[in-house]
Amino acid sequence: MRILLVEDDPMIGESVVDGLKSEGYAVDWVRDGVQAESAVSATPYALVLLDLGLPRRDGIDVLRTIRERRLDVPVLVMTARDTVRDRIKGLDTGADDYLVKPFDLDELSARVRALMRRAAGRAEPVIERGDLAINPATREVTWRGAAVALSAREYTLLAALAERPGLVLSRAQLEERLYGWNEAVGSNAVEVHIHNVRKKLGDGVLRNVRGLGYTLATERDDAA
Amino acid sequence: MTSIRRWLLAALLTALAIAGFTSAAATYFSARGEVDALLDEELRQVALSLRDHAVLDLRRLESVGANPDQRVLVQIWDPSFDKPYVSRIVGDGPMPRTPDGYATILHANRPWRVFTLYAGRQLVQVAQPTALRTQLAASTAAQLVLPVLVVLPFLGLAGWWIVGRGLAPLGRLAGAVKERSPNALTPVPTFGLPVEVRPVANALNDLLARLDQSFTLQRRFAADAAHELRTPLTALQLQLQLAERAQTDEDRARAFERLRQGIHRATRLVQQLLTMARLDPDAAAAEPAAVDVGALLASVVEDAQPLAAQRGIALACTGAAPHASVHGVEDALRILFSNLIDNAVRYTPADGRVQASVTCEGDHVVVNVDDSGPGIAADERERVFDRFYRGPDAPAAGTGLGLAIVSQVADMHRGKVAVESSPLGGLRANVRLPKDVSAH
Repeated sequence: MRILLVEDDPMIGESVVDGLKSEGYAVDWVRDGVQAESAVSATPYALVLLDLGLPRRDGIDVLRTIRERRLDVPVLVMTARDTVRDRIKGLDTGADDYLVKPFDLDELSARVRALMRRAAGRAEPVIERGDLAINPATREVTWRGAAVALSAREYTLLAALAERPGLVLSRAQLEERLYGWNEAVGSNAVEVHIHNVRKKLGDGVLRNVRGLGYTLATERDDAA
Repeated sequence: MTSIRRWLLAALLTALAIAGFTSAAATYFSARGEVDALLDEELRQVALSLRDHAVLDLRRLESVGANPDQRVLVQIWDPSFDKPYVSRIVGDGPMPRTPDGYATILHANRPWRVFTLYAGRQLVQVAQPTALRTQLAASTAAQLVLPVLVVLPFLGLAGWWIVGRGLAPLGRLAGAVKERSPNALTPVPTFGLPVEVRPVANALNDLLARLDQSFTLQRRFAADAAHELRTPLTALQLQLQLAERAQTDEDRARAFERLRQGIHRATRLVQQLLTMARLDPDAAAAEPAAVDVGALLASVVEDAQPLAAQRGIALACTGAAPHASVHGVEDALRILFSNLIDNAVRYTPADGRVQASVTCEGDHVVVNVDDSGPGIAADERERVFDRFYRGPDAPAAGTGLGLAIVSQVADMHRGKVAVESSPLGGLRANVRLPKDVSAH
């Protein structure tokens, strides 16, 4: 899943990027409000982490712009502005969650998962697709009851396809979800990961939809 | 404890008593004068009437005895007789002879007023104790004093109450001031205050306004500081958790290095916040003295040489100003110069130059710190002195307080600081401080 981080403090930004990447997300990091607005328009993100005290354009204005443009990407505001009035303002301007600094990194992760869960239209914390079970909190994948060890990219790929039942993602779309701007992507990186996942879970798990991309084929009542 | 009311009352009643008694005394003497004249004339008339009658036959006159009711004492001397006629007996013997006219003599241990005249060969004396006159005058004067004495206690009570009422506005003012608290330092109302109390109320309101402003500034500083501390603390929290999550030694080492930098930044911020709090003009603990700016600047430049060398920057101190002396606090000025030179060195890229100079311009000492760095955009030059302001190109460990502290120290010394373009190509930080004229 691709996340946009908008944060001007170098140390905080660096830490959040590291933390989220280690959980399998692809993270793009911008440091001011103007860059945030152009990034959000250019790329479809699964989530935006938005600091409010930004140079060049305040985070609240960025949030307003995002909502005015009808971009329904979930936004989690992380800020030092902690008064009740500030929180109300943030939420009413369109934030889906409001986290006050300093915050716990694990709590940030949990809130990110919660927002992504809702955005995918799913209420249950654990994703179940037929014989496949994915726990986003622990990143444990269970296939037919048995735990499966996956690399970070493999997990992300599987989780991306499991986001919604019947979701089909093209190679380009999968690349977008797996890699940030400043990460080198090999030309057939996605195919390699697909291949590895099939090796670990069996051939029938990922199906190639001609002309469209890939999809999960784990539902019991899936037509052949 | 002194009391205005008691003092006023004591003073007024004393003045009243003095006035009363003085006028009583004046009345007494004036009355006495009149009584004297009156009774003296009476004596003379009696003497004259005695003379005008036929020659007195002493044999027919008899001493009537010691009758104290008689107002006058008549004595008539006749050369034919040894003893004079005495209208009443007073004392052991007759009154001695007195010369013509009025006289005051002592007889029988009492003073007497005597009028003497010759009737043919006889000497007529008409006398009266002066005690009578004194009594009459005294009773007239007493009539004046008595009412005053009676009125005095009532006046005292009334005065007590009146003065109390008069001083009541002071009590109300005190009550109004007591109601104020650090959170509510509104001015006390001066509407309807008496003229004498108004200066006190105005002075109090001035003080309250200054207190309010001081508290507001401190509260704002505390709120800003608390807000600004969140960022470094957030970074520390995240960095620590990443260190905990680290799986490999390499990851862990890197995480701890980042954590160390985070702690360094937080420490620096806290130190600068404390510096600012201590530089508060109201909390000036150090005694101002004459500071040799040239020597101080040279010392600060020397201290900064290691950092400059590390960053590959040529740092120099120029300008000879032997009389550049400022009346101020050396430690605070050291911080001011140190912050400016520190900034210049940090913001200038390698192979750059930083130059500090001091000169005298009229009655000011001028210090310039020039660098060949990127400078500051013209539209940001005002805001750059705001607390916690960080420009778009601020380095990671910056706190935004360096220039705010510089500004605070300059204010403390009644000087000014500004930034402008530098001949070296980057930024010039210009500090003007009033010279200490008493130094030479």
